[in-house]
Amino acid sequence: MRQTIARMLAGARWLRRRAENVAALLLLVMFLCFILQIVTRYVFNYPLGWTDEASVVCWIWCTLWGAVFVLREKDEVRFDIIYSTASDRTRCIFTIITGLAAIALFGIALPAVIAYVTFLKVERTAYLGVRLDYVYAIYVLFSIGVIARYAGLTWRALKGQPPAIQIGSGSAL
Amino acid sequence: MNSPFAISICAILALGLLGLPIGYSMIAGSTLYLLLANLDLGTSAEQILNGLYNSYVLLAVPLFLFSAELMNVSKMTDQLLRFCDMLVGRFRGGLGHINIVQSIIFAGMSGSAIADLAATGRISIDMMTRNNRYPLSYAAAITAASAVIGPIIPPSIPMVLYALISDASVGYLFLGGVIPGLLMAIAQMVINTLMSHRHNFPVEEPIPVRQWPGITATAMPALLMPVILLGGIYSGVMTPTEAAAVAAAYAFLVAVLWYRNITARDTYLAVLNSARSTASIGMLIAGALIFNYVVTIEQVPLTVKGLLAGYDLSATMFLVWVNIILLVLGCLLEGSTIILVILPIFIPTAKALGIDLVHFGVVAVFNIMIGLVTPPYGLLLFIITAISGAPLRTIIRDTMPFVWAMVIALAIITFVPETVLWLPRLLGYKG
Repeated sequence: MRQTIARMLAGARWLRRRAENVAALLLLVMFLCFILQIVTRYVFNYPLGWTDEASVVCWIWCTLWGAVFVLREKDEVRFDIIYSTASDRTRCIFTIITGLAAIALFGIALPAVIAYVTFLKVERTAYLGVRLDYVYAIYVLFSIGVIARYAGLTWRALKGQPPAIQIGSGSAL
Repeated sequence: MNSPFAISICAILALGLLGLPIGYSMIAGSTLYLLLANLDLGTSAEQILNGLYNSYVLLAVPLFLFSAELMNVSKMTDQLLRFCDMLVGRFRGGLGHINIVQSIIFAGMSGSAIADLAATGRISIDMMTRNNRYPLSYAAAITAASAVIGPIIPPSIPMVLYALISDASVGYLFLGGVIPGLLMAIAQMVINTLMSHRHNFPVEEPIPVRQWPGITATAMPALLMPVILLGGIYSGVMTPTEAAAVAAAYAFLVAVLWYRNITARDTYLAVLNSARSTASIGMLIAGALIFNYVVTIEQVPLTVKGLLAGYDLSATMFLVWVNIILLVLGCLLEGSTIILVILPIFIPTAKALGIDLVHFGVVAVFNIMIGLVTPPYGLLLFIITAISGAPLRTIIRDTMPFVWAMVIALAIITFVPETVLWLPRLLGYKG
């Protein structure tokens, strides 16, 4: 039993590292698109249109992918004045309430979100001609990821383990 | 305002207070609104995705984060200390002044106060507390306070966020921040001088003039950064977003070719950390996009405008009230949340009162950045406590004089719009 759990944990860590690889790659591609765009425009006087589009797509994917698969609870921007002073028991109760609310609201919206994204299959991006439903599919993945994550957090809170947070993290200011 | 809206606001506040990340609270609460108002629930996805897709200017945020990460890895900023020593070390409280001047130069390279603190905090505090020359809490306080200059002097991440919600030009906002940023630095130097005389802080040995060229040359890679960034933007060669990418490329090249101290692993971690910050600020932006949509269909900004019109407020009184509200909120909330969620409510009124939106933006950002060092919720205070190991209470005590000085500087830029607008107008701003 213990071995199985250890193996599962190792598997989860492995998956998280791969998710981090993807997020890092998306940011890197976004950056390289910009550099390519600047070089072709100013050095070769040959502006590219697709680089703008590719970098925006990377930004959307990096944000939504990173939000569900890379960020841990302690990386989030939150109002932590109350949570950080609460006891573990209270934190568990807070986590269960917010977790259930998040699962319910993201869950209720999910069918409409899927409908919206699939509806866009007729549209394509301006330069690259990528089907917009593929680009926007990340939001469906994001919604499902949020539901799964809060299901996990709620489950652990029910067993008496509140998520650890770090005061004042996550801000970019 | 009808009840679905009231309920959704209560839901957002309740979820936020109970510790759900703010971005998720706003998405969940706005979804609740769509549900109660019988609107299409897919609207949340539509608003967030289209909003992110069409806000090209926001790409500057991850890129500025990335360049700051790279500068931290290359230790580019360490070379600045001796250069600053050469400039201001020989005055009373010299190391405090060095700390502030270094923040000014760093502010011209990075758009973030947290990045400033992460880059220079440790080394500045070590330098000031060596041989017990300055009390630890004072060293921590001045390091945190001077980091606030970072996002006022361009480039600036919060000004990019403000540009998103106000449609003001990022370039002119950046320019508008230059004089207020310097004013903030002067205010802090005045406090440092006063404190130094009171506590008899030491002066540094003056650096002989013949060493000046060498020291300047060593600091050159860092000193060139603001020149490239701002020169690129204001000569019209680059957009601010492209300039952010160039800054990152420059920081990387300097680390690889000049200092030769960056490994593949460092580079990967810099990319990953930026991706992580991108995701967390991106979630706030996503939440704000859908929440601001709800606020707009509920016509809240117009309602506020109507309410305030009833009071017959003058532009000046309006600015005073907004400043007070923002200072209070800054003690409690994370700054980007205030910019993305609270400021949109005031913008139509500011416009109607004839307040210039560049002036308004710089004043608001200046104000909200003071909130980074005001308790109980002062992000930089938490970070500096972790870096320095001094008790939070003593750091807050020593930071307060700087806060008051910054509030006076805030009053000046509020009542004298020219302090903000002179430079943008000089370079073609028509506002």
